[in-house]
Amino acid sequence: MPVTQDVLWYKDAVIYQVHVRTFYDSNGDGIGDFAGLEQKIEYLQELGINTIWLMPFFPSPLRDDGYDIADYKSVHSSYGKLEDFRRFLHTAHERGVRVVIEMVLNHTSDQHPWFQQSRSSRENAYRDWYVWNETDTAYKGTRIIFLDTEMSNWAWDPISKAYYWHRFFSHQPDLNYDNPQVLEEMWNVMRFWLDMGVDGFRLDAVPYLVEREGTNCENLPETHAIIKEFRRRLDEQFPGRMLLAEANQWPADLRHYFSDGDEFHMAFHFPLMPRMFMGVKLEDRKPITEILQQTPEIPSSCQWCLFLRNHDELTLEMVTDMERDYMYDVYAGSEKMRLNLGIRRRLAPLLDNDRRCIELMNGMLMSLPGTPILYYGDEIGMGDNVNLGDRNGVRTPMQWSGGWNGGFSAADPESLYAPLILNPVYGYPAINVLSQRRTPHSLLSWMRKIIAVRRSARVFGNGSIEFLYPANHRILAYVRRLENETVLVVNNLSSAAQAVELDLRRFKGNILIEMFGRNIFPRIGDLPYLLTLGPYQFYWFRLRRI
Amino acid sequence: MADEVSTEERPAALRSDIKLTEETFLTDEFLRQLISVGEVDILVGLPTYNNARTVGGVVTAVQEGLLNWFPRERAVILNADGGSRDGTPDLVVSASIDDAQRRSSNRFTLRTLHSISTQYGSGNAPGTAVRTILAASELLRARACAVIAPEATNLQPDCLRTLLGPVYQDQCDLMLPTYARHKFDGLLINNLLYPMTRALYGVRIREPYASEFAFSGRFGDQFLAQNSWGDESARAGCEVRFTLAAITGGLRISQTFQGIKPHVERHAADLVPALRQTIGVLFWSMEANFSLWSGVRESQAVAMNGGKQQFTLEPLRINRKRLLEMFKTGVSELKSVFQGILSSGTLEELKRIAQLEESDFRYPAELWVKTVYEFATAYHKAVISRDHIIQALAPLFRGRAFTFLVENRSSSASEVENHIESLCLEFERLKPYLLEMWNGRE
Repeated sequence: MPVTQDVLWYKDAVIYQVHVRTFYDSNGDGIGDFAGLEQKIEYLQELGINTIWLMPFFPSPLRDDGYDIADYKSVHSSYGKLEDFRRFLHTAHERGVRVVIEMVLNHTSDQHPWFQQSRSSRENAYRDWYVWNETDTAYKGTRIIFLDTEMSNWAWDPISKAYYWHRFFSHQPDLNYDNPQVLEEMWNVMRFWLDMGVDGFRLDAVPYLVEREGTNCENLPETHAIIKEFRRRLDEQFPGRMLLAEANQWPADLRHYFSDGDEFHMAFHFPLMPRMFMGVKLEDRKPITEILQQTPEIPSSCQWCLFLRNHDELTLEMVTDMERDYMYDVYAGSEKMRLNLGIRRRLAPLLDNDRRCIELMNGMLMSLPGTPILYYGDEIGMGDNVNLGDRNGVRTPMQWSGGWNGGFSAADPESLYAPLILNPVYGYPAINVLSQRRTPHSLLSWMRKIIAVRRSARVFGNGSIEFLYPANHRILAYVRRLENETVLVVNNLSSAAQAVELDLRRFKGNILIEMFGRNIFPRIGDLPYLLTLGPYQFYWFRLRRI
Repeated sequence: MADEVSTEERPAALRSDIKLTEETFLTDEFLRQLISVGEVDILVGLPTYNNARTVGGVVTAVQEGLLNWFPRERAVILNADGGSRDGTPDLVVSASIDDAQRRSSNRFTLRTLHSISTQYGSGNAPGTAVRTILAASELLRARACAVIAPEATNLQPDCLRTLLGPVYQDQCDLMLPTYARHKFDGLLINNLLYPMTRALYGVRIREPYASEFAFSGRFGDQFLAQNSWGDESARAGCEVRFTLAAITGGLRISQTFQGIKPHVERHAADLVPALRQTIGVLFWSMEANFSLWSGVRESQAVAMNGGKQQFTLEPLRINRKRLLEMFKTGVSELKSVFQGILSSGTLEELKRIAQLEESDFRYPAELWVKTVYEFATAYHKAVISRDHIIQALAPLFRGRAFTFLVENRSSSASEVENHIESLCLEFERLKPYLLEMWNGRE
């Protein structure tokens, strides 16, 4: 079933985030590759997702897991050749799965030829492709993102005897978008992949493209102008392709990245994610309803991207100090679990491997307004390894079976790019695709079911949301509506059974049809609608007037 | 038929369920609210009755206190109202936490803060209000509870920290307040309740009859189960019963300074109910706890946080002449009642001082202590109706109050404190007299 021509396809997408390195090793060198990924598209199709988001796969010294790109128009040799990528892309499209790739606009690796040229002399043609200065005093109002490792946003280059600007690691110099050549070249890079057929880009670190003195160098009008220019060219030359913003900002600031529907198609809703975790631990809907109330309306062609976990730490930048302290206390008891301003853990360990809570969180992910993104391995409840450095603990090999190397690779275990999870709870003998495929009530089987139900109703990706505020604050209830379709979602955020009375009088006369079992619940009347929910239970009801 | 089992034949557990259902005093609507609130860490109870003038400020202070000191905790403000006609419950329920958050910039609760209200009856019945609060606390499994007086106009948000904090941290089971009172405020407490409780049970609790206090959920549950709530006399004086239950149960009690206690004007007719709720309860407790208090020889200080009881000295109008007149009238008119209660020596002495001119009148501490102890003994022996005994104490207390006012007219705060301490020591010194009377006199 090839991909459809719907230009708003991303609104109904269910996205699966994966790093090619982590998924499947086809040639036995211990590192996942595109040929391996291509073999596993059938699995992803079976899971029900319809879009893959690939993390960086370009040539890179891999000092930041590929976000330090040394060549934008090729494939890292560990993952195969460009031709392997083309085959993978073709197979994915053949199976109705779109492919979104990473594009790091803000910076390159210091090993990129552009930077090597730039630092080589002050007269070099590439000199002005990066942000150089004689001192490290400019742009003082700019925060440091990687507080654990970086002391400054300026780094001294002993070769060129000047400071260069970097918002992330010092080995990732920022490109200078005040130089029009940079914009042109980056568009050439994007066009290269669009010509090949990729369906969109996740644009990394977009708020930081431009620097201006006296500002915090984030979300500047000049940055928006650059995005608008990329978008204009995309719409003109490649209609139906998509731009997704990675901008870890408050909703009000993020709103500008949608502009009038002429910047990004989608943006991650970063502040929502930690508040979902907070909500279930506090057993209180307040954090979730508050942040969604503060979330501004966006143009109808735009969409939020929702996620529970991803390749990074569970970022706590978009929470208050008090909320951050709470999150650390309840989700990261050990210092090893903390990184930068966040928590480097996977979904299942964060939720104490509580199956009901994992289901609830996925239920909210799939039913709140936006396009859900699943992080590879979370569909089977994979664990993490906090003993690995940086964020590598959540980037361990996919666990396909209980056999050799968890079915990931035929290589010697010592030569795997990262050790497999081996502990008795989350290790590959206990948690793997093969065993869960054979069990109808496994997490994997349940995930397939919920994705299918989600995709059966366009209201989830396109509908409005209206919160109900029953007196019981442990219940998060909302109504999703799109044209004639109305879905009522009721979530119990508590680890104990709850009763709730919902005021549904305006839907009087409708019957409720539970969407998973398709069972009929009593007709709505004048009285408050009483529901009881088990621990972490949730309902999705389709309202029908019959 | 198998289904038709008589009540007698049903299992005991089932019968007990039926009994509970019959005895419930919580309305369905209130239960519905409690279901919505669910388990909490902290419960703040506000017993009210026509307190619209002051309750808004109290709720605001409570909200800010929760915001500042318990932002992570699951909390509920519970109003138990006696059927106010001035909109008091509406004021409690509608007070917005958002306003409190705006005032406390940068502070906000992580969770929903519930404010709920229930009407327990019609009329002011603090005991029933406390019972309602205790029942809610049990159902919601509260870890720490506070009861706050709705007329506490000077309540500071910090009071939540000082009252509730140590209880919530499991450092004590009952936290009682101390105040900065006017030297002539709290006459009943300073001349009777405090010294006698101290002499009886050996604990120096300055406010055994507190209108603001905090307690652990565990202690609240225990008291709810143990106290006999069936009749009004049991519900009256619930606060003192609460304190006494903590003392006699050997629980951990602390005191915390709560600042200035505003003086509340009392009508003369309020004295007898106040005596019932305080000294009546204290006398009642002596029955059940004889083996405990009879063995106590001296008193111990109770842990104190944030400063001792203090006295303020600003002018306060009290009609002393009226107090003395009521004493003299009482001694004259209740002579026959006193004959059944008091020893002949004490009664003769009372008659003698009742003849004195105002300028010469003094009700000496020793005579006052003996009077009280003889009343306690009469209560124990039930020589007449116990309620009549309590009522008969009222005019005599007025005479003692007159003396306290005269003796302390020009006293500094520390001198007042010294006088109260002397009285306490007198109660302790004469305790053998109480035991002698208690054991010997028929």
